[in-house]
Amino acid sequence: MTTSMERLTAAANGQVIDHIPVFCNLLDQGARELGMSIEQYFSNGEYVATAQLKMLEKFGHDNVWSLFYVGREAELLGCNKICYADDGPPNVEDFIIQSYDDIAKLDIPTDIASQPKFAEIAKCLAILKREVGGKVPICAYVTASMSLPAILMGMEKWMELLMLGPADVRDLMLEKCSTFFRRELAAYRNAGADIIIYADPYGSTDIIPMKLFQNLSLTWMQRDLAGLDLTGLVYYVGAARLNSVLELVIQRLGFQTYYPSPLEDVTDSMQIINGRGLCAGVINDIRLLDWTPEQVRMEVQRIVTSGLSKGNKFFFGTVLMPYGIPEQNIVAMVNAAKEFGRVSV
Amino acid sequence: MLDAIKAYNEAVLDTDRARAFQVVMDAIDRGVSPEDIVFNVVIPALDLMVKAIDQGFDTNLAQHFMTSQIAADVTEKMLQLFKIPPEIVGRVVIGTAAGDLHTLGKRIVIGCLKAQMIDVIDLGVNVSAEKFVAEAVSKEAHVIGISAMMVHTARSEKGAIKVRKLLHEQGLERKIKLVVGGAPFRYDTELYSLVGADAWAENGVSALKVFMDCINEVKEQ
Repeated sequence: MTTSMERLTAAANGQVIDHIPVFCNLLDQGARELGMSIEQYFSNGEYVATAQLKMLEKFGHDNVWSLFYVGREAELLGCNKICYADDGPPNVEDFIIQSYDDIAKLDIPTDIASQPKFAEIAKCLAILKREVGGKVPICAYVTASMSLPAILMGMEKWMELLMLGPADVRDLMLEKCSTFFRRELAAYRNAGADIIIYADPYGSTDIIPMKLFQNLSLTWMQRDLAGLDLTGLVYYVGAARLNSVLELVIQRLGFQTYYPSPLEDVTDSMQIINGRGLCAGVINDIRLLDWTPEQVRMEVQRIVTSGLSKGNKFFFGTVLMPYGIPEQNIVAMVNAAKEFGRVSV
Repeated sequence: MLDAIKAYNEAVLDTDRARAFQVVMDAIDRGVSPEDIVFNVVIPALDLMVKAIDQGFDTNLAQHFMTSQIAADVTEKMLQLFKIPPEIVGRVVIGTAAGDLHTLGKRIVIGCLKAQMIDVIDLGVNVSAEKFVAEAVSKEAHVIGISAMMVHTARSEKGAIKVRKLLHEQGLERKIKLVVGGAPFRYDTELYSLVGADAWAENGVSALKVFMDCINEVKEQ
């Protein structure tokens, strides 16, 4: 029986064994799976791993997650106030960078894995590795240097510093965030993550102008990734569009996998990548809250057939699935991606 | 004046605050009045930007931020030099939805509205539906603006949906319009209607026209 990992490896080589890989990013849904509050759920890595495995069995997709919530990165750097919701992802409530002086004081731990807040992540990864390691891709989420400041100081203050603030302060912030990125990536890889989502909304010209992307984002991405093995790293810009920068990113950075916006035409992305990497066909998963299963199926069919019309280095994916999506729509989505993602050899 | 508008807007699109201010100061040096700077450069430039975005001109979040920031800064500086205070064209209360702590979109909207001589009362973050309505009533606002960056805060029963319910129960729906904005509304363009809003704005700059239309609608009743 084909494993999810074999499916993904085949796709990276332009082949389809039985169907394309189907990535379904279920996070907060784990709390519902275990019948507990979101706050309780994320308090224990064992809960997260258990729910990931249960959901994998229930829906039959091709990946599991070690991500708790994005704000966990801020916690690794000292944030101790998280705002929990009943029906959505936890959020950073208290930004650790309140002033430019705080940037100078920000200490990046040498060993991220030894941080107390990483312990539950490590526990989760150990369970996932033990249960499905080598068979199912285990995903981790690591925020790039250009985007991490938004979690540490808020998007508003980061935009202010980026566009109006002193360059030396901005660069100090970026340098510290880049150092954190490299150390966090190492911690996740050592703990067993196979697929690393390189999350960088500031790597999209939906967020910053092309000139700034070329002069700053690319430079800091190169710093983040210098000398690293890029195997398993995915270029993801947070559901923003990336086609306008794809060629530059491919040439200058050479990721092996790209995750376009659901608002982009995947055939355009596939044409630009042109076999130089794996490309996701991403569904606008907010709409899954209200669509019928039949509507879900038709949209998946459109995405998958569009993507596969341009080559087999293609897989199906979601953004970060909203908590309230009915299970029948998740089932319909995964089944449709498998059905239309078959390629006759 | 058209040259000044063009030069000002080019600077704004280049996110070059210093150059935008230089255009304004050069115009002042040529004898253009502060009133003319605001009403015949800054506001027409904002209107042009809104129109361009509406027609598909591709802009980005940083440009929206700088458009708003520069417009607000120039307007604030010019207002100090006005001979008589300008007429306020409308009043808005604005905040982020209950449970939502994201402030950037709200800040962009506020800057653009202020430059248009709209009085804005910023209620901050994580604002309850009751507070939105109570403040709108007490400040005699024409519009309530709710920013929500997350799906669950955009769709929450405690957010826009409850504001609509309260406006309905208190018979205020003709006096106070409800505008929403934020990422979830871009990914589901019918969502504004589902949560009971009168209108939505795709970005902070385009919000200007949406708010103006709502203010005018209330005034005409």
